[in-house]
Amino acid sequence: MNQLERLLKEFGEQKLQNRTRRHFLMDCVSKVGGLAMAPLLFACDPVVRAQSQALNLSGRDLNPLAPLPPPFAPKAKSIIYLHMAGAPSQLELFDYKPELLKYDGKPCPESLLEGRQFAFIRGVPNLLGPQAKFAQHGESGAWVSDYLPHFSSVVDEVAFLKAVHTDQFNHGPAQLFMQTGSPRLGRPSIGSWVTYGLGTENQNLPGFVVLTSGGKTPDAGKSVWGSGFLPSVYQGVQCRSKGDPVLYLKDPDGMTRDMKKSVIEAINSTNEESFKDFGDPEILARINQYEMAYRMQIEVPEVMNINDEPKAIHELYGTNPGEESFANNCLLARKLVEKGVRFVQLYDWGWDTHGTSKEESIDLGLRNKCREIDRPITALLLDLKQRGLLEETLVVWGGEFGRTPMQENREGKEQGFKGRDHHGEAFTMWMAGGGIKKGASYGLTDEFGFSGIDERVSVHDIHASILHLMGFNHEKFTYDFQGRPFRLTDVEGELIHSILA
Amino acid sequence: MEFILPLLGRFHPLFVHLPIGILLFGILLVFIPSKTNATFLPSIRIAFLVGFIVGLMSAISGFLQYQQEGYTWDTVQIHLILGWITVIFSLGLYFQFRKAQELTQPLKIQSGLIFLFITLTGHFGGNITHGEDYFLEVLPPGLLATFGIETQTVAQFTLDENSWEEALFYDGAIQPILNYNCSSCHNPRNLKGELDLSTIKGLMKGGENGEILKVGNLKESALYARLILPHEDEEHMPPAEKRQPRKEEVELIKIWIETGASVDKTLAQATVKRTSVQAFFRKEENPFFPITDLKPVSSDTLSILRGKGFFVEQISADNSLLRISCLNFPAFSEKDWKSLKEISEHITYLDLSDTKAPESIIDSISGLTHLTTLKLNGIEIEGKGLAKLKDSKNLKLLYLNSTALTLENLTQLDGHPSLEKVYIFKTPASGQEKRDFSFHLETGDFLLPKLASDTIVY
Ligand code: HEC
Repeated sequence: MNQLERLLKEFGEQKLQNRTRRHFLMDCVSKVGGLAMAPLLFACDPVVRAQSQALNLSGRDLNPLAPLPPPFAPKAKSIIYLHMAGAPSQLELFDYKPELLKYDGKPCPESLLEGRQFAFIRGVPNLLGPQAKFAQHGESGAWVSDYLPHFSSVVDEVAFLKAVHTDQFNHGPAQLFMQTGSPRLGRPSIGSWVTYGLGTENQNLPGFVVLTSGGKTPDAGKSVWGSGFLPSVYQGVQCRSKGDPVLYLKDPDGMTRDMKKSVIEAINSTNEESFKDFGDPEILARINQYEMAYRMQIEVPEVMNINDEPKAIHELYGTNPGEESFANNCLLARKLVEKGVRFVQLYDWGWDTHGTSKEESIDLGLRNKCREIDRPITALLLDLKQRGLLEETLVVWGGEFGRTPMQENREGKEQGFKGRDHHGEAFTMWMAGGGIKKGASYGLTDEFGFSGIDERVSVHDIHASILHLMGFNHEKFTYDFQGRPFRLTDVEGELIHSILA
Repeated sequence: MEFILPLLGRFHPLFVHLPIGILLFGILLVFIPSKTNATFLPSIRIAFLVGFIVGLMSAISGFLQYQQEGYTWDTVQIHLILGWITVIFSLGLYFQFRKAQELTQPLKIQSGLIFLFITLTGHFGGNITHGEDYFLEVLPPGLLATFGIETQTVAQFTLDENSWEEALFYDGAIQPILNYNCSSCHNPRNLKGELDLSTIKGLMKGGENGEILKVGNLKESALYARLILPHEDEEHMPPAEKRQPRKEEVELIKIWIETGASVDKTLAQATVKRTSVQAFFRKEENPFFPITDLKPVSSDTLSILRGKGFFVEQISADNSLLRISCLNFPAFSEKDWKSLKEISEHITYLDLSDTKAPESIIDSISGLTHLTTLKLNGIEIEGKGLAKLKDSKNLKLLYLNSTALTLENLTQLDGHPSLEKVYIFKTPASGQEKRDFSFHLETGDFLLPKLASDTIVY
């Protein structure tokens, strides 16, 4: 018996079974009891059921990605989140600490080390002065180093958070915390929450797309764009700028578009048949997903193709079609947002500058990484701006934590290159676009850039503000799981009013 | 032995439940139908006697509490008088039941009356401990409004951006902050911790542990010190489960204490910086999307539109205006406008980009009263009738990217009452010499210079 025959046989038996008396007596005991309760439990009310059979279902029953309005008017309708995996050094990019330069090479004061744990630093390390040259830019006078010469020209579009803190100092947990609000596995990522709350605007594209560059995916694995306890349709869909945009989306050789269409039609008509029998909305959701996948096959390769962009745009971003690069991903992010994708998440790997090799050094490798993102990020902001998309798109930039003002001394030994250890006490992030106050700066760190001394913000505060801009009250946006409502911000989070327009 | 009286007083909340229960039991027996009309008389007598005794204990302990715990006469007045009436009344009834051979009509009426007294006494007692709006608090505002009850909420503290410097530090800032965050528990009627924060007098007087303000000394000023305790600390104020003041509010209290806790200085005289108060500036209540009282469009109508290919969604659950886009409907053309007509008042965001919308669509659009955002990117228009868009008095953002428009076309829009920005990236207009319009013109064509550092590999 081949596969198809077996399936058909199974289907036939199942159908018969639903009619036999033995099956009724065996399997339906509980249901007969339930039937007696039906008038009491209003959800089982036959009238209600009859109604839903007459297709009086909400859009969400049929299509879990159907759009929904947010509770209150949003400032942004899409998000582009640029995550620099590995954690860039705030002290070389944004947090200018001239005092630290004076103490360069001197032993770190005991008071900073007492009772603290570091990922690799042991004993008493030396302080490491900023390796970059800083200057103030724009009307806002924001400090940006010469590592980001292009970005310096758009600082007036951006609001800086200069005293972000996290309590995680290892990549995996810290990335999870930054993306899901919890350092442990199992929570939905920001993108999943947003897609769950708002659905997708473009019927032919997923609501949450993930693009990675830098040669590796984040340390925490795909859970950073996972849907946790939310239904899995809300997880991020990873697309690639090299090769097939979505794995397994392309039809196998010999399968034509027409054949595919008739296959899906056949499957859907059987599914419709069972829907008529059982009235289970899950079946309709299934039908919908087949159709969406079919439409995606056309639309995804189309938006993921950057070859047809004009030359000026390629020059602006510094893109090279066909390779996996952060620049390509930035351009794709714009295209996706333009096409109504809710949440575009970029991960760029390679920011973990410990000083153990040239690539991981603060004065060499980091410069290379900065060069890779400087032009694309600036281009992204400008391109969104010229198309008017920055009005309704929120752009977030940051790592999972920051880096120490001390030079790393792995195993108590001096490293071959200049590097900094993981540091969660104070680091810089920035946001731009819909609902963000242009040119704002919030947060103050001490003279070494070790701790935030004023206007500190937590990861939860950032999440609360992101949700706020999308039209949600983070305290009320919950999902019931294992007997209690869950929030992205757990039991914390305050809006960062000072950077909201 | 000074503690005896206050201790007895504190038993009041315990005692009060006894007369309520026992007397109610007696009253119940009075009204339960029985064969002979006198079956329960012995039990009724006992109920009323015991009810009287525990009632008396409650009344006495209540009086002690009033004397010892700083309640004012105004607050307890009605409760106290009603309580004593109930006690005396129950004694009187007891004597009547003792004489009675059967349950007469007057006895029943009096029993009904005493029921009323117990209820009222209990209610007014509850008002003192739980606050007068104890029940009202949990009712939905809509319901209250239909009964004509106004829920008085203390407004959050705001300052006027232009004249904040002249506001008095205490009266204009600190007191409103305390009113909003603390007064619900610290007022003359509800003296938690024996502290009244509704006036400067109460604040200066302090609470059960003495003064709460030491000028210039933050650590010793409980008024501030308690606010910055960790939330899980028992002494943290306001209690952790209650709404917490904003960071900026706590900060301002700090500055007030540091700068001498003056009562008559203005914010400027106390050298308060603008950055310390800017969080309180009243936000211009000018939301991007207009607030209307239009009824939401029915879900049937929305489904029909979606079936046609439109993306249609309410701006938000609390705003019935609609966002409409032809993202998945590139075939949109003139005839499809008909289906939008019915909901034209609701349209506030309209994206017809890259569709087959013709020139004449502008005429139709100009009638949209609540339109704020219009996207016509990439459609084939000459832009002759753009002036008509001046009728859309809410239009703020206009997208005309990738069209054939020139600056001459756009002059028609100059002086538009609400238009803020017009996007004309990738049009002939973006190449033309800049002109000043009443709105911001975004021509785009951004370029980034080639820098030497772009190519240096370290
Ligand atoms: C939900 C009720 C509630 C709110 C709101 C509240 N408090 Fe209290 N407060 C109490 C209670 C109960 C006590 C007594 C118990 C204690 O000392 O912790 C108290 C005691 C105090 C005391 C100590 C008084 C003393 O002398 O012992 C201070 C000071 C105080 N509160 C300040 C404040 C301030 C300032 C606010 C507003 C920011 C505030 N409270 C808001 C309930 C409240």
